[in-house]
Amino acid sequence: MSRRVMITGLGVISGLGLNTSAFWDALTAGRSAIKPFNLFMDDVKISVAATVPDFDPGNYFSADELSLLDRYSQLAVIAARAAADDAGLVYGEEIFTSAATIIGSGCGGKHTDEATYDQLYKQQRSRVHPLTIPKGMPSAAASMVSLHLGIKGPAFGLTSACASGSHAIIQGMAMIQSGIIDVALVGAADAPFTYGLLKSWDALRVVSNDTCRPFCKDRSGMVLGEGAGMLVLESEEHAKARGARVYAEITGCGMTSDAGHITRPDVTGMGNAMKNALHHAGIAPENVDYINAHGTATQANDIAETQAIHQVFGDHAQSIAISSTKSMHAHALGASSAMELVATALAIRHGIIPPTANFTICDEKCDLNYVPNEACKQEINIAMSNSFAFGGLNAVIILKKYP
Amino acid sequence: MILDKVAEIIVKIAHCNFDDVRPETELIALGIDSLKAITMLFELEEAFDISIPNEIIPSITTVNDILDKLDNSRQIKT
Repeated sequence: MSRRVMITGLGVISGLGLNTSAFWDALTAGRSAIKPFNLFMDDVKISVAATVPDFDPGNYFSADELSLLDRYSQLAVIAARAAADDAGLVYGEEIFTSAATIIGSGCGGKHTDEATYDQLYKQQRSRVHPLTIPKGMPSAAASMVSLHLGIKGPAFGLTSACASGSHAIIQGMAMIQSGIIDVALVGAADAPFTYGLLKSWDALRVVSNDTCRPFCKDRSGMVLGEGAGMLVLESEEHAKARGARVYAEITGCGMTSDAGHITRPDVTGMGNAMKNALHHAGIAPENVDYINAHGTATQANDIAETQAIHQVFGDHAQSIAISSTKSMHAHALGASSAMELVATALAIRHGIIPPTANFTICDEKCDLNYVPNEACKQEINIAMSNSFAFGGLNAVIILKKYP
Repeated sequence: MILDKVAEIIVKIAHCNFDDVRPETELIALGIDSLKAITMLFELEEAFDISIPNEIIPSITTVNDILDKLDNSRQIKT
């Protein structure tokens, strides 16, 4: 029988603020971080975004440290420190040094990459900074979290577009369940506001210049965000032994690949991921109280996700509270899925369901309860967090109230 | 001729027959799904040096719709 896995620490830095308290306060108030964005003036069509406010890296790192930290790594380390502190883990303790570090990211060290290409191709410089590789490599955040927190167990980066955070969390869960480790620091970070990435998102034509209105008739696409979400996972035995506070239990996961279209979501793939998660958790569909939806507010995702929920839950679908917190923290790519699991754990802990903000009227094809605009007090025993990424990579996590 | 240039682009993306691209043809019938559509729009923007805003994309469902948008643009290079 596999070991039970608990969430004992949470850390977020996002468009909603520099810490988890600011994140949760904004979520429960239904307050969106999406604001006008003009970093690249008129050359980029994207005009709204959720950037981390009032963020000065110098407040967290020395100049020497910053020479090795891409922006996405900075956000990862800050959130990881917050999660570790929240869990009451002490730096240097043996159990902490043997923990795992698994950090997902959708786009990795793009700030470093693009600055380098600008130097070479645009400025025609003949050399680049010697630390470009370790700073910008896709595993940089995992290395930096491990380095800054002194975590010496299994450590690696992981990528699956928007599901990167969920997959990192699931990997940590699986390693604890199997007994490889007792503690894991897992999550994801993304900092996508670079010129090249924004021009690329412009070209894909799925980003709104209004705001993020998941499941609404007048939705016009997703809105980009940045940030990091990190969680401390522990075996039940280890958490009990040190008297750790438990936010929730991770009780199951479901992962599928659509093996179909590179961008268009697949109802079957989504539905199978949810069914697999329920089966893995040993939970009947009618016991799910809350779904934190992928809910990107694109035309395709919201309808497909609604259809998938209908297929999996049948009549019970109408009884489930469903919200997309991307309406508030926006779509921080791989980091979103980790932020959303933090939000789901907090929802269980506090018995409050964050709303789908910016809500106007439902799309006719989206006919479920999306908790429009105002948070809802409700005891949550079982919650599901959905992540359905580009490339058809689906990851669903189920949390259960503990004890 | 603009129709020929548009047809060349559509054939390149959809791998359909050149003769199947007629003004009244629906894009979906040529196999242009959402991903091929945004690729087609990119190629049209590059070829004709125009900008096609996101807001009008839902109204582009036939080859004629593309030709109309090109006619309305002041920046066509033939």
